[in-house]
Amino acid sequence: MIRAIAEAIARGAMRPGGVSRQKKDAIFELSCRVAAIAERSRDSGGATLARDAEAEKRKLLRFGLELLAEGADAARVDFAFEHSPISLDLDAGTKLELASVRAGLVALSAGKHPSVVLRRMTAFLGPEYFDKAGEWLAEKARKRRRREQSLLVPGDLPDLIRSLALDPRSLERTIRVAGRDLAVAALAGCAQESVDLVAGFYGPVGAAAFDDDAAFRRTRLSGDEIGQAQNAFAEVVKNLEAGGELELGPEDEFASDPAFVHELTKAVMALDERSLRAVFKEGDSRILALAMQGLEPRAHERILGLLPHRVAQRLLDAVDDAAILPSREVLVAGKTLAQAVLAQAALAKSGSRESLESFEKVRDWMEDRPTSP
Amino acid sequence: MINWNAELAKRLACGEDERRGLGPLIRRFIDLARKTRKEGYLALESEAAQAEDPLLKVGLRLVAEGVSGDDLEDILATYLLANDEKGWPFLRTCATVEGLVSLAAGDENPILIRKLVAYYGADRALSLLQELEGQSP
Repeated sequence: MIRAIAEAIARGAMRPGGVSRQKKDAIFELSCRVAAIAERSRDSGGATLARDAEAEKRKLLRFGLELLAEGADAARVDFAFEHSPISLDLDAGTKLELASVRAGLVALSAGKHPSVVLRRMTAFLGPEYFDKAGEWLAEKARKRRRREQSLLVPGDLPDLIRSLALDPRSLERTIRVAGRDLAVAALAGCAQESVDLVAGFYGPVGAAAFDDDAAFRRTRLSGDEIGQAQNAFAEVVKNLEAGGELELGPEDEFASDPAFVHELTKAVMALDERSLRAVFKEGDSRILALAMQGLEPRAHERILGLLPHRVAQRLLDAVDDAAILPSREVLVAGKTLAQAVLAQAALAKSGSRESLESFEKVRDWMEDRPTSP
Repeated sequence: MINWNAELAKRLACGEDERRGLGPLIRRFIDLARKTRKEGYLALESEAAQAEDPLLKVGLRLVAEGVSGDDLEDILATYLLANDEKGWPFLRTCATVEGLVSLAAGDENPILIRKLVAYYGADRALSLLQELEGQSP
């Protein structure tokens, strides 16, 4: 902790005491503007910074934004503010503005979430602005649109997250011990349901920030980097478990029956396009989304590729909203899908023999074999 | 990384009697850590609502919101230095910030306690550590 305090003292601590309320309000508005610029910059990969710099009237902020638009990193931005003549001979209010803008732009250039940018900037104004910043962030969180997510191929981590989530405190503790950055990087490679399980621990503003960060990392990190983060996260779980701090729930409850998943996937892959499209276009999205938990990724890709964009999006939203099912309920949902396909095939007199036989096997699965040991 | 400077050392200096006040503060953080393990971090919101110290109030809400690590340190250090404190009030707020960062990181009680007794000074830290570990589960 001494690090941050010592660094702040070395920079020359800023005290808002001698600064007028009007000036502090103006710095608050400026902080919100920087947070909005940070949001745009993340969405555009930094492409909007030059335009924001050009449009900016405040000299200090314009100076910093021009640096960022040129590609300056956090250290260079910090150094430039420290040594630029722009920082000399300022009155107390402008000094406070400088300190706030400098902290905000350093955070922005380090890729921090806009909520962190705002919190860092408004901290210079004292605790009385904390709630006001919180209200601004809550409003942003309410208005934010959920990002369009592609369905990701799940690895081992989603199963581990589900297992930990059986005791929410275990999952929350693991996330805290792993640290937010590692957790976000690891979850960037998981389907939305895993991200949602974790985001729920933070309240509306924190949840929106976690969700945004996972989506942001998903676009910035390579598959290898996400894989490394997932391995490191699994290592944290292993260490906590070895230290007796964590007890994993029964994994079997959520582990899908591979034979059932294989059979259902085989049936979907063999079904003709027209029948498959008809079932997924007209069926109940919620039930279909549940059934998709019992399909391999290649079947997801085929189904989504056949559907019109609007229908595919509706299905993806239903997948995101669906609770994670124990293996037994995945089986029931798969059987419901099989029944729908068979009914459709009987009516339309369609479907290949191979595919229909597979769907019949899925429909009768409970009678033929046990679902899980 | 410890990055001392002369002003920091000067501002942290205070009498031994005053430093005894760290004991109750550390116990408070042990209770807060226990609460998060039992009820989750969002339970810190209700603790924040009851807290009288503005820095603790703000810090608990940031921790509940998911801010942690360097971000939390930097934000809290800015709040802390906005007040021109020195001596015991400054030491107390430094320890408060240390406790909040440790809480956000999910540190186990033995780690949390060791991070905070360091503010007591090497001469008295050991006895306080023994006293607190005798009480902490």
